[in-house]
Amino acid sequence: MKRINRRGFLRTGITGAGAIALSPSVLSAVSPVQEKNVIYRTLGKTGLKVPVVSFGVMRSDNSSLCKAAYDKGIKLFDTANGYQGGNNETMLGNLFKDHQRDSFLLATKVPPNTSREGKITDQTTPERFLELFKTSLSRLQMDYVDILYIHDVSNPELLEYKPIVNALEKLKKDGKTRFIGFSTHRNEPVVINAAADSGDWDVILTSYNYKQAYVTELTAAIKKAADAGIGIVAMKTLAGGGFLDRERTKPMNTTAALKWVLSNPAVCTTIPGMTSFDQLELNSKILEDITLNEQEKTDLLADISEPGLFCSGCKQCSQACPYNLPIPDLMRAYMYAYGYSQPSLALGLLKDLGISGNPCSNCDVCNVQCSRNFQIREKITDISRLADIPADFLS
Amino acid sequence: MGLSFALLSCFTYAQEVTFPELEGFKKITKYPVYVPENLWDFIDGAADTYLALGFVDLHVVEYKKGKEIIKLEIYHHSNHTMAFGIYASERSPSYRFMNLGSQGYIADGAINFFKGNYYVKLRTYSKKPKILHSEESLAQMVAGTLEGEADMPSMLSQFPDEGRKKNEETYINESVLGQEFLKSAFKSDYQVDNDNFSIFLIKSESPKEALKTATTYLATAGIEAGQSDNGKFVFTDGYNGTIFLSWKENTIVIISGLAKDQAGIADKYTSAILQ
Repeated sequence: MKRINRRGFLRTGITGAGAIALSPSVLSAVSPVQEKNVIYRTLGKTGLKVPVVSFGVMRSDNSSLCKAAYDKGIKLFDTANGYQGGNNETMLGNLFKDHQRDSFLLATKVPPNTSREGKITDQTTPERFLELFKTSLSRLQMDYVDILYIHDVSNPELLEYKPIVNALEKLKKDGKTRFIGFSTHRNEPVVINAAADSGDWDVILTSYNYKQAYVTELTAAIKKAADAGIGIVAMKTLAGGGFLDRERTKPMNTTAALKWVLSNPAVCTTIPGMTSFDQLELNSKILEDITLNEQEKTDLLADISEPGLFCSGCKQCSQACPYNLPIPDLMRAYMYAYGYSQPSLALGLLKDLGISGNPCSNCDVCNVQCSRNFQIREKITDISRLADIPADFLS
Repeated sequence: MGLSFALLSCFTYAQEVTFPELEGFKKITKYPVYVPENLWDFIDGAADTYLALGFVDLHVVEYKKGKEIIKLEIYHHSNHTMAFGIYASERSPSYRFMNLGSQGYIADGAINFFKGNYYVKLRTYSKKPKILHSEESLAQMVAGTLEGEADMPSMLSQFPDEGRKKNEETYINESVLGQEFLKSAFKSDYQVDNDNFSIFLIKSESPKEALKTATTYLATAGIEAGQSDNGKFVFTDGYNGTIFLSWKENTIVIISGLAKDQAGIADKYTSAILQ
């Protein structure tokens, strides 16, 4: 993938978003409609009108919160067969059993049982998929869902795998789901481009946020899919749970992050996770106003300059090191030591990698560039010193 | 060596996770150790619940025999309460419970249990009795090798037994009842005759902290902490309906689900806990 300067992208993105939001031609292209001040967009060829903020229910076990969201105008609720061992679907089923069925939209996800790499295996069978979906419907106490996603597609092969695709099509034909789609949060650009070419899919739920290393490619893929009539729903919009650091001491501007996603007119709605009424109140304001103000733009730029400790594993650095050092792994060791205060874990990893001494000592200049602006050489020099400490001293 | 000395002071002990051998099965360890930043890669959106409950790392291995696979996942959390919290969030009272670790159950090819700081999940899609038996044996072996408390969290014993819905207790580690100032609580559901209600038990760091938390909650309804002679309050939470709130020293009891005229029931349970 092409290396990008994310600060540069952000500037472009914000400026571009502002311009796009003011353009009537673009507005009509995504068919937003205003009803009672809530901003709706059309979910691609499904024709569903969906408020720009929906509810990722995954970690909420509080039906009062979901009810409050519904009362505030949020209509699409997103869950999955596996969330909270199924208790999440059960909670939503108990909540919505007394509501008029067409007053809300329900999306759930069923895993295809592919391998860790997303490849089709013996376990990837329509029978298992259908059995899990049947369980979901039972927990939800519903005759149908509005959107059924295949959960976590990272390999485009699955989108062509007829046993699963046919099973989904049959569920749609039988009225068990109104629309079909898939969720993706690894290898998204490739998967989304493939879906745009296939014509089988109604909706894609994709991770999308301003901190993704490959956001330019992803934005292009999203546009291609939207142009093909696929409805786009964005998840992981807060780029790591609403905080800039693992210790959760530096809260991010979550409103700015959500608005950044919605500044892309190809995105129909977002599904931020919410666990408190305060978060709901905050996100409810975005239902009626998606324009980034100056402070929010400033906060986004500040966030970008926080590299954090997590190596995204993009491997853009791998080719540049003359010694072919396993840089992503070394960054992980650094994160174990400094981020988690787990030096023994870091030491174990260094040993597995065969690191002893400073592997950067032979280079006067380091040409490795990191997409997250990590100072690679300094970090490797620092963490490699740990390899000289006896393990007993660390445990 | 500034790094090492700085780290030593905050290093906490964690048992090295080892996977037992299972006779007749080949052990496949092709998975990385998952950490908070990449747990999403393994369990998608479900990761958020784990992260909110002190997730530290995850070790995964597969046991393979022909086409049959048993997958073993060992989730390491920051303490025993957190391990209970994540276990309880995925538990259903309809499962078949078994004596495994602190508590465990079997449901449709899955065996889940927790012990010490660990939440363990085993899963097979095989329907063959021999494979299911092997899975159970593996679960017992893992439970035997993991260190840590093999009891339920002691706070649960403070919930009165009468009307308590068995195996429905949970631990919430953020925004109890959707209120950010209610940071964590054990919750137990009750049914007494036709009344269903929930009791939330909050253990604060100190009596002063408990007072602050209770005062903050009362303030949302425009009530001051000194407005009750007996230290027991009933008020309407705009989102959660009628709330009964009491506290003593560093323990706060909140009851939701009862009507205002059911103060007798609330009082009975509150008194039993705070006595």
